Amino acid sequence: MDGRTFLRAFRGGGGKGLSELIRLTDVTKVYQDGITGALNGLSVTVEKGEFTAIMGPSGSGKSTMLNLVAGLDRPTSGTVAVGGTDLGKLGEAGLARFRRDHIGFVFQFFHLLPNLTALENVLIPAQLKGNAATGRARELLERLGIKDIADRYPARMSGGQQQRVAIARALINNPTLLLADEPTGALDTHTGEQVMELLGQLHRDGQTILLVTHDPKLATRHAARVISVMDGKIVDDARLESPERAPSEVIRVRGEEASR
Amino acid sequence: MSLKYGVLGLLKGEPLHGYEVKNRFEAMLGGTWEVNIGQIYTTLQRLERDGLVRPVGRRGDRGKLVYELSPEGHKALDQWLAEPDSGPQQLHEDIYVKLLLATRIANGDLQTLLARQKRAYLQRLRDLNRLEERARRDGRIDLARLVRGALLHTEADLKWMDELSSERFGEAGAKD
Repeated sequence: MDGRTFLRAFRGGGGKGLSELIRLTDVTKVYQDGITGALNGLSVTVEKGEFTAIMGPSGSGKSTMLNLVAGLDRPTSGTVAVGGTDLGKLGEAGLARFRRDHIGFVFQFFHLLPNLTALENVLIPAQLKGNAATGRARELLERLGIKDIADRYPARMSGGQQQRVAIARALINNPTLLLADEPTGALDTHTGEQVMELLGQLHRDGQTILLVTHDPKLATRHAARVISVMDGKIVDDARLESPERAPSEVIRVRGEEASR
Repeated sequence: MSLKYGVLGLLKGEPLHGYEVKNRFEAMLGGTWEVNIGQIYTTLQRLERDGLVRPVGRRGDRGKLVYELSPEGHKALDQWLAEPDSGPQQLHEDIYVKLLLATRIANGDLQTLLARQKRAYLQRLRDLNRLEERARRDGRIDLARLVRGALLHTEADLKWMDELSSERFGEAGAKD
């Protein structure tokens, strides 16, 4: 009905073959106040288990795309389906349930509640679902390397710690899909790399991830697929290879042969 | 040019024979520059002719000639290390000439060229990322730094492609 059975089937799969998780078909999004972030007839599918990066200039529509997949917004026309469920067929309550049960969202500026501790922040989505989940929350904090700050408030955390807490919060309900919108945008280079490394680890453990970023160095580090969006359309969809290459096939210092 | 100073730099540590220079040079470059032994010997002979290195005896069962740095060699090396790289920007890759030619031949339509080149840069970024990871795993921070430079260069190349394509989009938009 709300497609939960479909999603469960996807999540439980565990088979090696990829299966389709996201399908956007001819999606447009028109904003009344101008064209920023508008989508212009965009179609794409994403397989379960993929780590996909979405890149493009600001205002190109990449965040809009993410918000539609998250069920945070509805398209003007076209369909958005996740796990076989057409999100357009869900009412507001169904959409809220879909987000709660299947989507983990990580934002650029963390969006933690300031009057809650790390552990309490992580637990919010579970509580909305009626689960206690304290054990899982502590497990996640440990896995993300922040168990020591479980009782700390956001104001007393570094940016990197806050983002780790936000990732734990995004994962607490074991989401089908992890969406990250510029998760390293507010972090220094080193901390950003660490956060990205965590996302890479989650992907290796089977998490499907859709990442919006403007940093192609970080994007290509973990994502094997890079979708370029411009003016609300996909202008490139690159699947990258990961063979072991000899250093000289990748870099040649002073490439030309010295005098023979 | 820098093979010469690379050899001088390695000899600053200790006297070495040709094969040792070759092996250490390649190890230092982490496989990003392979030299043949002939190039090393030619370089050593030129350095000796210019008084920057001198033979200090023979070593090993084949009695290979061992070289050390002369005082002039020390001076030349220090000077070179202290000098910033200046001179013209080196643009070795074909894309620069392709771009110029495509502008003439394809009547300004660069879109296909740019799209393909962009993909190649993305793939290169991925390869460089893996190389950097490997360098760090091997404890080669110096190599990781070199790869980092290449990563940032390629990021700039990618930005350049994006800039060129949006320029193109802008023109198309203006004609509408």
